[in-house]
Amino acid sequence: MVTLKIDGIQVEVPKDYTILQAAEKAGVHIPVLCHDSRLNPFGACRVCLIEAVGNPRMMTACTTPVAPDMDILTNTEKLQRIRKTVIELLLVNHPLECPVCDKGGECTLQDLTYEVGLTKVRFDAKPADTPVDHTNPFIERDVDRCVLCGRCVRICDEVVNIQAISFINRGMETMIGTAFDQPWNCEFCGQCISVCPVGSLNNRVYLFKNRPWNLEKTDSVCGLCGCGCYIELETEGSELYRMGELPEKGANHGNLCAKGRFGFEFVNSVKRETSAKVRAAGELADADFDQAVVTVAEKVKSIRAQHGAEAVAVLVSPRLTNEEAFLANKLAKEVIGTGGMYALEPHSSLPEATYADIEKSDAVAVLNIDVTEANPILGLAVRAAARMNEAPLYVFYPSETALKRLAEKQFTGTPDEVYASMTRLVEGQGAEAAVLEVLKKAEKPVAVYNPYNTADLWFVSELKKQVPALKLAAARAKANSQGIVDMGALDAAKLKEGIQNKTIKALLCFGENPAVRTGWADLSLDSLELLAVTDPFMSETAKKASVYIPVATYAEKDGSFTSLEGRVQTVNRALCKGLKTDAEVVAALAARLGGSLPSCSCEVRELIRKEVPLYKEADFDGGVISYPYAVKGEFEKPAKAAAGEGAYFLYPSSLRLHSGSYTRWSPDLAKVYGEPKLEISPADAEALGLGDGDAVSVSAAGITKVFKVHVEKHMTKGCAALPEDYVDTAQIFSKGRYHKVSLGKKG
Amino acid sequence: MKNIFDTLLLTEIFQGLGITLKHLFKKKVTYKYPFEDTPIFPRFRGVQYIKTHENGATKCVGCYLCQKVCPSECIHIVTDCGPNGERLIRKYELDLSRCIYCGFCEEACPVDAVHMGRNYHTTDSTRDHYVINMKTLSENYKKELADAQAKGEQL
Repeated sequence: MVTLKIDGIQVEVPKDYTILQAAEKAGVHIPVLCHDSRLNPFGACRVCLIEAVGNPRMMTACTTPVAPDMDILTNTEKLQRIRKTVIELLLVNHPLECPVCDKGGECTLQDLTYEVGLTKVRFDAKPADTPVDHTNPFIERDVDRCVLCGRCVRICDEVVNIQAISFINRGMETMIGTAFDQPWNCEFCGQCISVCPVGSLNNRVYLFKNRPWNLEKTDSVCGLCGCGCYIELETEGSELYRMGELPEKGANHGNLCAKGRFGFEFVNSVKRETSAKVRAAGELADADFDQAVVTVAEKVKSIRAQHGAEAVAVLVSPRLTNEEAFLANKLAKEVIGTGGMYALEPHSSLPEATYADIEKSDAVAVLNIDVTEANPILGLAVRAAARMNEAPLYVFYPSETALKRLAEKQFTGTPDEVYASMTRLVEGQGAEAAVLEVLKKAEKPVAVYNPYNTADLWFVSELKKQVPALKLAAARAKANSQGIVDMGALDAAKLKEGIQNKTIKALLCFGENPAVRTGWADLSLDSLELLAVTDPFMSETAKKASVYIPVATYAEKDGSFTSLEGRVQTVNRALCKGLKTDAEVVAALAARLGGSLPSCSCEVRELIRKEVPLYKEADFDGGVISYPYAVKGEFEKPAKAAAGEGAYFLYPSSLRLHSGSYTRWSPDLAKVYGEPKLEISPADAEALGLGDGDAVSVSAAGITKVFKVHVEKHMTKGCAALPEDYVDTAQIFSKGRYHKVSLGKKG
Repeated sequence: MKNIFDTLLLTEIFQGLGITLKHLFKKKVTYKYPFEDTPIFPRFRGVQYIKTHENGATKCVGCYLCQKVCPSECIHIVTDCGPNGERLIRKYELDLSRCIYCGFCEEACPVDAVHMGRNYHTTDSTRDHYVINMKTLSENYKKELADAQAKGEQL
């Protein structure tokens, strides 16, 4: 520890602290422009200059480490004069279009100008007039407003590790851009927007729609994928305008992905249903909420009387909060009297490694998942381990992923070859034996895997046996994939069997859309006498429903989500669209069926503490649950990955800016990726005579579907990939997760 | 004694009638509104107008500062991004029935667009007509400009 004085205040800080961090601890404000707590010190803007007594030269607070007995002055007359000049120099080329610029009201340069009391710039302003770049679907770029603080370049390099942008040219010509002025080709995570202190990089989804001072801010959790990012919902009235980051709170350090930052527009979508619907004479007709609930309750009662309570099943979606899932379970067990509720989520694996574990890890293995696409924030933790912690990273995946530039070694090939590689890894043979040795020798090894692929669980459990210190991170897909399992959801295999055998006559489907889920898309729901569906949108399953009730999204309800790292976080209602939540639907149904369930999340939370042993001591504001095991069960060694006959291996790729049924309703994400595309390698495209955008037919196990082609240079020759969670693709993957298919040019 | 004398001779009544007689020949100060307009002072704040550029485009950039500063919350703005990435004003509404004519909007405007005019004829039979939009505000500018030019003044 080091003791020093800042503006007369004595403070003791660790020796690796900078003067800026020490000042923060002492409660002294030092203005900064180019500094961000997520980034390495840079010292470009000179706004944070300070004086050390006895040192004739001034130094930058953000880069200078503390030294014992320093006496720092942060606000002398000389410093004030210099800071003013620094701001004046920044304003020389900065166009003062503050009323028009979208950053107005939250611009660091604007704030600093006020802070130093600058009213007149002494130098002749020479603003350029470069056209604003609108080529990126999510980022508006105005190079004239840039103050070259380098925050965007640094976050793209240090945190995201995509290095899409950099400083180009030199001296007065320096600007932020891409090499050879190529299009801004990146992951669209928007991290650069979040750190830009001026209006140079703006969010196009929010562009000119509102002003920060008009917006009401509510802390909540992103409801799109399983990463559990802590966010700020910015609303005015019943409209959601922005999903903002909170760097100081949450395990995601303020980082968000394209889905979280730009995909929220579906909440405001005009395509959302507003009234309940009841099927009459084969058509879904508008009905009021009570009428819909009465219809469901009466039908459930009659089916229960005729076929017994087991003929009624409840299916919940990971979009439900813990509280809602708990209530649905109570509805199933206590009110209806069936065995419990079901969910299409795996039960064999539970969270073990947290983001902090992964970031601090000294060896990381990524097993058969494109983690940066499927769970981008988990992917950032893997990147942080490999980049900042210099942990060796081993990636097993059929194609090359974005982790390529960080991976110590990539094991790519056809799915069969990848499986063979992973088998050699767990058995300690061949080239993969060295990887096993590294993992064994590491103090804090971590493996990230896909829990939805049951074949992968054998590798994971075997690897865990070989490396007992290994911490596992199951990359669960959706917002509350873990929470609904914790709330007692049963394995849905029995439900599928019941529907196929026609022993289940009524299905109450809360938010789930089995029609687009792998393994379920080929299941006919026509034999059901009652299919009641709740969903914010008229989903593929809702179209088949006998009763449909539109419900609230994550932004419109209170509750909690459990993330893939087992972190329970509170979801807060930020706006109201006048729609019922799933909790209210469950409570109304229970009342009609003669039971009594609360719908208020506070009451339900108390019940959860009493009745769910895992959550007895749970801290719903970011506490991590201690799970009894990471992987459990008997798994068979998979013989071969792919089944079927065909020249090409087909495997499910990451969702490409989507995380299931919600994001497909986002108009902004659809601009980039609106329909499923078949990814193939350039060599295969040439052999088949296909180009980008051409139609190709995919035939597997008697199903033939037509998709557009996307030629992707990272794809392995002989392989083809399709995203899951679309109707057509889910039907193909229901025949086998890895399949040998034949491709043919169409038209 | 003087009081008794004044009372007997009706002095005070004649004094009062004298004042009336004096004012009878002075210049009139009563205006027959609405047939006759009252004079207004240079700092008078009437119904707002929004200036336009020479090409007819509004000077307003939709920065929301007037909406923010308005103490009676009578201004409502909706903006969006235009097809060429420009700031587009979808809606600019001003509710005259709420406006307290404080002039803060004029003070806050950073682009010299919204101004307090000199027109105070706001009476109408229905409240709906008190809500004026960008079109009316721009037309107000044309009227104010014509009036000012007629009087040889600068707006």
